[in-house]
Amino acid sequence: MAIQLQNLGVAFGQRTILEGLDLTFDEGRITAVMGPNGCGKTTLLRCIGGLILPQNGQVIIDGKPVGDYSARELARKVAFVRQHPQTDFEFSAFETVLMGRNPYQHRLQNESQADWDIVEEAMRQTGTWHLRLAKPHQMSGGELQRVMIARALAQQTPILLMDEPVSNLDIAHQIGIMHLLHSATSKTTLIVIHDLNLARALCDNLLLLHEGKALYHGPIADGLTPDNIKRVYGVHATIADGHIVFDY
Amino acid sequence: MTPHSQKANPWVILLLSILLLVIMAGSCMLGAIDFSISEIFHSPIFWQLRLPRVLMGAMVGACLAVSGAAYQSIFRNPLTDPYVLGVSSGASLGAAIAILLGLEALLWGVGAFALATALLTVVLIYRIASIGNRMHTTTLLLTGVCLTLLISAVISFLMVLNQEKMDSIIFWTMGSFGSASWFDVGLMAPVAAVSMAVVIYYCRDLNLLLAGSEAAKSMGVEVEKVKRILLLFTTLMVAFAVSSCGVIGFVGLIVPHAVRLVAGPDNRRVVPYSMLCGAIFVLICDTLARIVVRPSELPIGSLTSMVGAPLFIYLLYKNKKQY
Repeated sequence: MAIQLQNLGVAFGQRTILEGLDLTFDEGRITAVMGPNGCGKTTLLRCIGGLILPQNGQVIIDGKPVGDYSARELARKVAFVRQHPQTDFEFSAFETVLMGRNPYQHRLQNESQADWDIVEEAMRQTGTWHLRLAKPHQMSGGELQRVMIARALAQQTPILLMDEPVSNLDIAHQIGIMHLLHSATSKTTLIVIHDLNLARALCDNLLLLHEGKALYHGPIADGLTPDNIKRVYGVHATIADGHIVFDY
Repeated sequence: MTPHSQKANPWVILLLSILLLVIMAGSCMLGAIDFSISEIFHSPIFWQLRLPRVLMGAMVGACLAVSGAAYQSIFRNPLTDPYVLGVSSGASLGAAIAILLGLEALLWGVGAFALATALLTVVLIYRIASIGNRMHTTTLLLTGVCLTLLISAVISFLMVLNQEKMDSIIFWTMGSFGSASWFDVGLMAPVAAVSMAVVIYYCRDLNLLLAGSEAAKSMGVEVEKVKRILLLFTTLMVAFAVSSCGVIGFVGLIVPHAVRLVAGPDNRRVVPYSMLCGAIFVLICDTLARIVVRPSELPIGSLTSMVGAPLFIYLLYKNKKQY
């Protein structure tokens, strides 16, 4: 399922965050959303997830503006992994992932065997099945993050939005999650990520945001050039053997 | 392994219901005058005083406990209940004003006033204490304390001006079922039934609200709508409980916490179990209030607070690390 942005613009008070974004994220592709802190990456994801309404333009999913969806309908199309998972009450990891099945259940209905199987599969894919009985305070930041990814997978949506999903993970789990997104799913994925080399190796496309505008949108290998990196981040980099190397 | 079932266990419900009935029967028999089973049905005291009092106790207990469980999920804060937030005091102010205006004879009149001021209190707290999409414990509790103090001051002022019309201050700060009548039961029963049905209907949404407003929305909850409906009906329960029985503290804090310790955090269990346990808890307290110093009576709120305040302090201490 593709995502279309039509002249998308967001401002918080006087401050313009996103401006005139006109682009399409193709079905089944993993797009790295990159840019310096405060360039509007999270805001873009929240717009697509229907969590904020843009002042200008709109986001179209499956031929319909995001604002016209009910929360339930949208939750069957878009899953969102946020940056700082919050849990104050003691739901186990299994119960947390099971919440991802909510958009498919009626209020008074209980989870079916099918729901339980989907949850188990999502937890096995993210390597969290052994943590199923663990409470939030018994898990590390990385484990909790993988539980949140499992919850988004259990939502079984064609679109997946991930705001720095791998920032708390060790390198093995970073690669594991990225491979999972690649192979096990055919989801249209937008992922905010800071590791340029990881993104270059494991994402298809790149959306490079600079001062609220799209500086580049296209295949990632062509976008992460020393020029673009210099312009967006202000640091010098060279590419050697397909690797981005920074001048420290 | 299979993680334990999410839904309420019907056997637990049955067991708690039987326990509730037994305690209701016991509570009917004990008091300033004790009855045996053979004489109880012939006594006007049973029909006119005990039975409505016991029914009110059960309903108010259930309502306070359920509203506590719901507030804790809506405000995403385990230290919340109608008493601590000042919503009970808010309701008592409206009820007191309605009584002074002579609206007692008007069906729902006192309750409607109590609801209005209680809702005002909830909205005020919500506005003051929400920072981003989170409720800050310190601000939440301070706001509750300040509103409670302010409102009790206003009520004492009203009472001094109208001594002949108002009951004692004890009634409004510590609660009492002493004046419970069939009229009160008739007012309370439909409110309690409808409100609790609404909260039970939204139990799954309450679970998701605990994950945060945005996460809940991403998982298909119409967050603003659900919060509004739930706040309206929980506050409605509190308003009617307070306008007939005064402010009884900490029930909404103690009961859901005790239930969570045993049954886990899932509101599909916490809410129905709290409903029954709240009724049981308040009935036990009210029975004790009648028999400990008979023929006189303790205010029931002093008993619930003796259990609730230490628990509250313990929870505050336990949560210290997080804030």
